[in-house]
Amino acid sequence: MEENNLECNSVVDGNVEEVPDKKVIKFNPPLYRQRYEFVKKLVAQHEPKKVADLGCGDVFLLRMLKYQKCLEELVGVDINEEKFKWHGCKLSACVGDHLDPRELDLIITLYQGSVLEKDCRLVGFDMVTCIELIEHFDSEDLAKFPEVVFGYMSPAMIVISTPNSDFNSLFPYSDFRDLDHKFEWSRMEFQTWALDVANRYNYSVEFTGVGEPPSGAEDVGYCTQIGIFHRKAQATEPDISEQQGQHVYQVAYTTSYPSLQQIKYRRRVVVYETYREVHRMRRKYKMGLTWCELEADPEDPDNPRRKFTSGLPSPQPLKEAEKSTEMTPKPFCIGDKFYVPLERIIAYPKVKHLCGNVEELRALIADAVELNCSGSAVQVDLDHYADC
Amino acid sequence: MTGRARARARGRARSSSDAEVGRLHASPSPPSVGLGDSEVSSSSGPVGTSRISQKYGISAGDAGCTFKERGGKLRRDFVDLAVCTREKMAHVRNCKKGSSGIPVKLVTNLFNLYLPQDWQLYQYHVTYNPDIESRRLRIALLYNHRELSNKAKAFDGAILFLSQKLEDKVTELSSETRRGETVKMTITLTRELPASSPVCIQVFNIIFKKILKRLSMYQIGRNFYKPSDPVEIPQHKLSLWPGFAVSVSYFESQLLFSADVSYKVLRNETVLEFMTDLCHKTGMSCFTQMCEKQLIGLIVLTRYNNKTYRINDIDWSVKPTHTFQKRDGTEITYVDYYKQQYDITLSDLNQPVLVSLLKSKRNDDPEVRMAHLIPELCFLTGLPSQATTDFQLMKAVAEETRLNPLGRQQRLARLADDIQRNKDARFELETWGLHFGCQMSLTGRVLPSEKIILQDHVCQPASAADWSRDMRTCKILSAQSLNKWLIICSSRAERVMESFLNCLRKVGSPMGFHVDYPKIIKVQENAAAFVHAVQKHVDPEVQLVMCVLPSQKNYYDCIKKYLSSDCPVPSQCVLAQTLNKQGMMMSVATKIAMQMTCKLGGELWAVEIPLKSLMVVGIDVCKDACSKGMVVVGFVASINPRITRWFSRCILQRAATDIADCLKVFMIGALNKWHKHNHDVPARIIVYRDGVGDGQLKTLMEYEVPQLLSSVTEASSNTSPRLSVIVVRKKCLSRFLMESGRTVQNPPLGTIVDSEATRPEWYDFYLISQAACRGTVSPTYYNVIYDDNGLKPDHMQRLTFKLCHLYYNWPGLISVPAPCQYAHKLTFLVAQSIHKEPNLELASSLFYL
Repeated sequence: MEENNLECNSVVDGNVEEVPDKKVIKFNPPLYRQRYEFVKKLVAQHEPKKVADLGCGDVFLLRMLKYQKCLEELVGVDINEEKFKWHGCKLSACVGDHLDPRELDLIITLYQGSVLEKDCRLVGFDMVTCIELIEHFDSEDLAKFPEVVFGYMSPAMIVISTPNSDFNSLFPYSDFRDLDHKFEWSRMEFQTWALDVANRYNYSVEFTGVGEPPSGAEDVGYCTQIGIFHRKAQATEPDISEQQGQHVYQVAYTTSYPSLQQIKYRRRVVVYETYREVHRMRRKYKMGLTWCELEADPEDPDNPRRKFTSGLPSPQPLKEAEKSTEMTPKPFCIGDKFYVPLERIIAYPKVKHLCGNVEELRALIADAVELNCSGSAVQVDLDHYADC
Repeated sequence: MTGRARARARGRARSSSDAEVGRLHASPSPPSVGLGDSEVSSSSGPVGTSRISQKYGISAGDAGCTFKERGGKLRRDFVDLAVCTREKMAHVRNCKKGSSGIPVKLVTNLFNLYLPQDWQLYQYHVTYNPDIESRRLRIALLYNHRELSNKAKAFDGAILFLSQKLEDKVTELSSETRRGETVKMTITLTRELPASSPVCIQVFNIIFKKILKRLSMYQIGRNFYKPSDPVEIPQHKLSLWPGFAVSVSYFESQLLFSADVSYKVLRNETVLEFMTDLCHKTGMSCFTQMCEKQLIGLIVLTRYNNKTYRINDIDWSVKPTHTFQKRDGTEITYVDYYKQQYDITLSDLNQPVLVSLLKSKRNDDPEVRMAHLIPELCFLTGLPSQATTDFQLMKAVAEETRLNPLGRQQRLARLADDIQRNKDARFELETWGLHFGCQMSLTGRVLPSEKIILQDHVCQPASAADWSRDMRTCKILSAQSLNKWLIICSSRAERVMESFLNCLRKVGSPMGFHVDYPKIIKVQENAAAFVHAVQKHVDPEVQLVMCVLPSQKNYYDCIKKYLSSDCPVPSQCVLAQTLNKQGMMMSVATKIAMQMTCKLGGELWAVEIPLKSLMVVGIDVCKDACSKGMVVVGFVASINPRITRWFSRCILQRAATDIADCLKVFMIGALNKWHKHNHDVPARIIVYRDGVGDGQLKTLMEYEVPQLLSSVTEASSNTSPRLSVIVVRKKCLSRFLMESGRTVQNPPLGTIVDSEATRPEWYDFYLISQAACRGTVSPTYYNVIYDDNGLKPDHMQRLTFKLCHLYYNWPGLISVPAPCQYAHKLTFLVAQSIHKEPNLELASSLFYL
C-alpha cells in the first residue's frame, strides 16, 4: 500500500544499483517494468476477466493492463488517494475506443482504502496482484493480510512480489531498498511464508522472479521474487459473501469503456460495417470489373509499390469471402439506386459476428440505413462523391 | 450552379473543413524511439499536474518566463496579445468607442472569472541536491512532499507555480528516494506575478484544460470534445463530436472565460481502409502517387491513445514485420510491439508505415524525430477532400452542426453548469482561488442602415441582407454593352442555352446592360473540345466568352486557366443543369447578367462615402490547392472615389516568403492606376488585411505596415496619402446574441460591439454585417493596427459597415468589406483553378467573379 512513487522506484531499482566490485547493476528494461510486464504476460496467458491490483500506486500497472481484450473489470486499491488524483484520468477510454469499441465491457474502478480491510466488492476476482506490497507491512499487518486476500477475497489467482534479500549482497549498502520496508525476505523466508499461507487457504504456489542476477552471481536468484498462487478448489458461494459484505472502500475514480455489448455501440458498428460492404459492392458493380481483373495488373517486381499488396485483395481470403457470399442473393440495380440484400450483407463474417441473423441486422440498421420497401435490401445511390 | 453559387459552396466547404482541421495540429508525442508512443507511462490523455509540466515546458530566460504550448510552441494567439498597437494611436488611446446607432443589449459567450483582489501567482525555482536528471523523478519527489501536497501547483521539474506564497523566500525540503538517499530540494521564490501577467493567463488556460477533462471531454487539437452524444453520418463514415473551443484571457477590463460550440469531424475509417479503397479505385499503376497525394498532410488519430499526428510521408519499404529499436535498446517488430503493448493484432502484414515528423519539445533542440505509424491503427480526421465538393454531404453536415441562437445558448449554459457543479472542477478552481461567475452581457449598437445608390434611383432596401428585389427595375450605375461575344456549348445544351440567351437579353435591358446576339459554337462534350473551341475562336476583339458546361469536372479549370492567363478575355462559365432549373431562369439570368457586367468593367451600385479621395484595399491569402507550400496573395484596391471600380492583382509565392514585398509592388501599381484615373493620389488609404493567422501580428507590424507605408510615401512628392491598416478576422471565438423576451436571437445587421469583449491593448471592434437565416451569426472582428487617418472610431466603424455593401456578386450585405471578399474570390480562383498569375490586362475588371 505504501508503495512509494513509481518514478522514484524506477530509478532506484532500475538504473543505479551497484555491486561491490563497482560494477553497476543496470536492469533493462527497468526492474519495475519487468515486474509489470510479468503480470501482463500472466494476464495474457490466463485471460482473467476480473483483475484487482492491491497497492496500485500511480496506477501504472492498470494502465498497462487496460488494453487487454480479455478483461471486463479492473480494480485498483491504494490507501493513498493523492496519486489517483493525478493519474485516474489516464485510465479512461481513448477516442479510438469510441470509434472502434472493444468486444467486451470494461469497467475500471479505483478504491481508496486499506487492503487489510474486507470490502465485498473485491470478492470473486480471477486474479489479484500485490506487487511490492507485503514488505511495507509490519508484523501485525502481515498477519492480517492472508486472511483478507486469501481467505476473504479468495481469487482464483494471486500474484505476490517482494524483494529478494539474497540479492542485496550485490548492493553496496546494507539497509533495505526502501526506507519504508519493514522487512526484506530471503528466498527461503518468502517461500516458507508463502507455502504456509497456501496450505492454510487451499492454494498451490509456484515461485519465480524478475531481475536476473549478473553472471557469476547466479546463486543469489532474481532481484524480485514472485509467488504465483492458484486456488485449488472452488470457493464456497462467493455470491453470498458478496451480498453480506460491506462497502468499506471509497470509490475514488471509475470509468466505463464503450463496447460491442452495449446496444448503442453495436448498432453504430453494424451500421458502419453495412455501409462499408454496400459501398464496396457498389463500387465493384460500377466498375464492372471482377477482382481477378484487378489483380491481373502487370507488376514490375522492382517496383516498391508492389510490396503493398494489401491494397489488392490477396487471393486466399477473398476466395473464402466469395464462397460465403456466393450462395446469397446478388446485389442489383434499379435506375440510379443500388440494392444489396440483407442476406448478402450478413454473409460477411464481421457482420455475422455482430448480428447473428437477418432479423437482428434489420432491427439494428433500420433507423440509420435506407431499406427497400420490403425491408429485405439496403438501398443507396449508385453514385457517390468518393468515387471520383 | 452559377460561378457564385459554386464558389459559395466551395467556400463554405473549405471553411468548415478548415475550421476543424485548422485547429488541429499534430502534437508530438513524448520522447520515444521509432514509435509515436512506445511508453505506456507517457500515453493516453494524461491529466494532472505532472502532465502540465510535461506538455508545457516552462523556460526561464531573461525576459522572464514563458509557458510553452504543446510541441514547444507558444500558443500563438497569446503571442499576438503582446503586440500593443493601441498605445501608438493617440486618437484612440483614451476612448475607442463609437457613438452612432441604437443601443442593443447583447449576451455574450463570455463568463466572468473572479480572483481575489490581491491574487498573485508565485513563481519558484527548484533545485535538487544531489542533482537529479530525470524530470519525472524531480516532479515525483516534489509532489510527494507533504509540504506541497494540498497546494494548487504547476511544476515542470524546474519552475514551480503556486497560488499561495510559501512562508519563506527560500524553502529547503528534503525527500528520500527508496534507496534511502536524501535529496534536498531548494525552492526559491523568483517572481510574484500579478493576475494580469501573460504567464498567469497561460496557467489559467491550463487549469481549464484540466477542468474540461474532468468533465469527460477529450482534447483533440486545441479544443475539447464529448464522445457521449456524437452526430453520426454513416453513409459518409463520419462522426461529429460536439465540444467547445475555450480560452481564458483578459478582455477590456476583466478576466473572462470564453467558450464556443465546436464540432470535431472524425472518420470511421482507418488509413488502411482508405488505402485499400483507393487501390481498388485507381488500380496499381498510379496507386502510390495517388496515395501520397491524398494522404500526406492529413491529420490522423491513433487507435491506442489520444494523439494526433500529421502524415509527412509514407515509407513503402517498411512493413509491420520489420523491427525497430525500443527506448531500452531492444529490437522488436511492429506486430509484436502492438500485440504486447496494446493487445492489438495487426491483420495486414503488408501495409507500409506512415511517417510523422515530431518536432522536439525543447526550443533549443533542433532534432526532429520520426514516428512510424501503422495505417491500420490510424483513424483519419476531418472531412475528406472530395467530400467538400459534395453539396449534399456538406448540407447534411451543416444541418447537423448548425445551432440556432437558443440551442447555442443552452449548450453554453450547460457547460457553465457542469463546471460549477462538478466536484473536481470546483475543487480545482477553489484551490487556485478562482471563482467561475455568470455569463456576461453588454451593450452594443446597431448602426443606421445604408441607402443603395443606383443610376437614377436611391433605394432604402427592405432588408440589408438582400436588395435584389429592390433593384429589380432599376438601372445599374454603368455597363458596357456586350457586342462581340461567344457562347460555347454542347449540342445537347443548345435548346436550354437559346432560352437562356433570350432571358439574358430580356433582363439585361432594364438594367441598362445591352446584350447583342453572340456567336454560338457547338462542340462535343469533352473538356478538350471546349478548350480547343476557345483557342480557335477567341481573338482580341472578343469581349467575353460564355461556356455552358455539361459538368464541373475538368472543364472549368482548363477554360479559366486559358482565358485568365494565356489569352486574357473575361469568361463566364455556367453549368447546363443550372439553366435547366424550372422557374429559376429569370433569377439565374439576372445574376449572370450582373456578373457579366462586372467582368466587362461595369459598376452595379454604390453607397454614400463621405470621405472624398479614399482608396480602400483588400488583401487575402489562400493556399494553393495543387502545390503544397505555395500560397496565393491577392490584392484588390478601389480606383475611384465612389469605390465602384477595382484594381486586382495577385501572385503565387512560397508559403514561407514574407508577403510584404509583393504588397509594395501591388500598392505602387494601385496608386499609379488611381493617378491615371483621378490625376492625383488618394488622400487616404485604408487597407483591410484578411488571411492573418494567429501569431502573425508582430510580422504585420514589423514588415507589412512599413512596406505599405514606404510605397505610400514614395507615391507622392508633396503630401502622401494617410494610411490605416485593419486586420479582418472572420473566425473569432466571440459570439453575441440578442435577448428578446424569453429567448435569444441573432442581433440585427450592423450591430457593433466595441467594449468589454474587446482587448485593452488593441483598437478593435466587432461588426455583424451578415445575415444568418439559420444558425448563429458569427461576428467579424476588426483590429485597427495602424491608423494615420485619425478617423473617429465611429467613422471607422461606419465606413467598414458601408464597405460590406459593395460586393457585386451578392446584392446584399456580406461578412467582410467588399475588397476583402474580392481578394478572397481572386485568390480562391487562382489557388483552385488557374495556379498561375492572371494576365495583367484583366487587372481593371472583376474577371474572377
